[in-house]
Amino acid sequence: MAASKSARKSRRKSKSRKAAKKTSRAKSRKTPAQAKAIETSLGLNKAVRLTFSYDGDNVKLVSQQRTEMTVPASDTVKGYGKYKGFWAELKSGSDKTLYRTVMHNPTKNDAEVFPESPGEVISRQPAPKRKGVFVVVVPDTDKGEEVILCRSAPETKGPTRGIRALASEPAEEILRLKLKK
Amino acid sequence: MANGQIVGTTRIVETGPPEQRWNAVIVSEGYRSDEMAQFATDAKQFADTLLSVAPFDRLRAAINIYRVDVTSTESGAKDPKKCNGTGAKPRTFFGASFCSNGIRRLLIANNGRVLDVVKKQVPQWHMAFLAVNSPISGGSGGPVATFSRAPGAVEIAIHEMGHTAFGLADEYEYYSGCASDKGHDKHSKTEPVQPNITTNKNRATTKWRSLIQPATPVPTTSNANCANCDPQPSPVAVGTIGLFEGADYFHCGVYRPEFDCRMRNLNRPFCAVCQQVIVKKLTPFLPG
Repeated sequence: MAASKSARKSRRKSKSRKAAKKTSRAKSRKTPAQAKAIETSLGLNKAVRLTFSYDGDNVKLVSQQRTEMTVPASDTVKGYGKYKGFWAELKSGSDKTLYRTVMHNPTKNDAEVFPESPGEVISRQPAPKRKGVFVVVVPDTDKGEEVILCRSAPETKGPTRGIRALASEPAEEILRLKLKK
Repeated sequence: MANGQIVGTTRIVETGPPEQRWNAVIVSEGYRSDEMAQFATDAKQFADTLLSVAPFDRLRAAINIYRVDVTSTESGAKDPKKCNGTGAKPRTFFGASFCSNGIRRLLIANNGRVLDVVKKQVPQWHMAFLAVNSPISGGSGGPVATFSRAPGAVEIAIHEMGHTAFGLADEYEYYSGCASDKGHDKHSKTEPVQPNITTNKNRATTKWRSLIQPATPVPTTSNANCANCDPQPSPVAVGTIGLFEGADYFHCGVYRPEFDCRMRNLNRPFCAVCQQVIVKKLTPFLPG
């Protein structure tokens, strides 16, 4: 559950870069059907569904459930070190990223407000009391050992302070959990 | 007390086994048992609308759609007076209410309960929608895309699905509104992780570089006054992919791929970059 140390981080980055290159090279030469075959061989027809709850800053795992189902294609697994936002990753035992899913921050403390008639615009309003649940689905593979969640922290000063949707700093790991085998 | 009951599940769009397809689930809220025929009609209409939207129209073979019939004791949704509502407090299965967090059109139910039902009825679900039997306009995003029966509210659900299922960012360039925004002049330099917005205006390295034609200027639009939203019309033809300044709740310093998109305004098509993301995510669900 704890954040990693810098040596481990650097090893992880290098491994992650190599793995991403390999996957990206393989995928770029494949037809969609061939890419699908590769994904199936990675175990994308078996999944683990993780349900989390959040209340304010706190995020915790509520349940994990294995399911026979196909998982959406992974987002790119490289180059996220300095990105802001929210995402989940499936990690191998050696901390290599096997699968990543970018998410619209599901722990937001504001909300979209929709217009009543066409022509009016969508807007946002703070909704500080928001709490609830969200779900992450990752492939169930032999190599997948852990899942991490990464999230940018909100600003601490200025007019955008406290609003998660307006966070400007790179995301940090906020939760790491072992998958039940 | 349950305030209703789960009646059952019907696959209203069937393209293959649920283990191999992308499974969308529409659940009813605030429909009495004598109103379930109306829900069947509403769910069918929603499915037809979703499958007519690009790129889902080309991905039909990848998608199953399920209808989960849940009755409520009473019809509608809570409409608190503190938001100038009627004060109605119907007893419904998921407790949907307008005026969440004091916001009139923010319609939210007990999403944990919705997901428990969906999980049991369709274990392979990917995206959950809650159709609320109210004529008042409203909806919300998050793990469950919630929408009412007001005309056009289905658009809310499709926009929210862009966030929940595909990780797409909002492409509008303001927060509470162009006239009322404070502190939304300039986006930070940090690159957002979402695939449809960027701070990188370098043609050779920006996220959707492969879709930008050589003749398209980059940036394609620039906001001359970052204190406000950019008022200029698009200088290029509809559908041109480039770098248009203003997105992610900021007036300047961040770019969107097209002048307009469903992630910017309701009742618009998804832009080409958003469509590409959706197609990529759903490719594993296409029949081999």
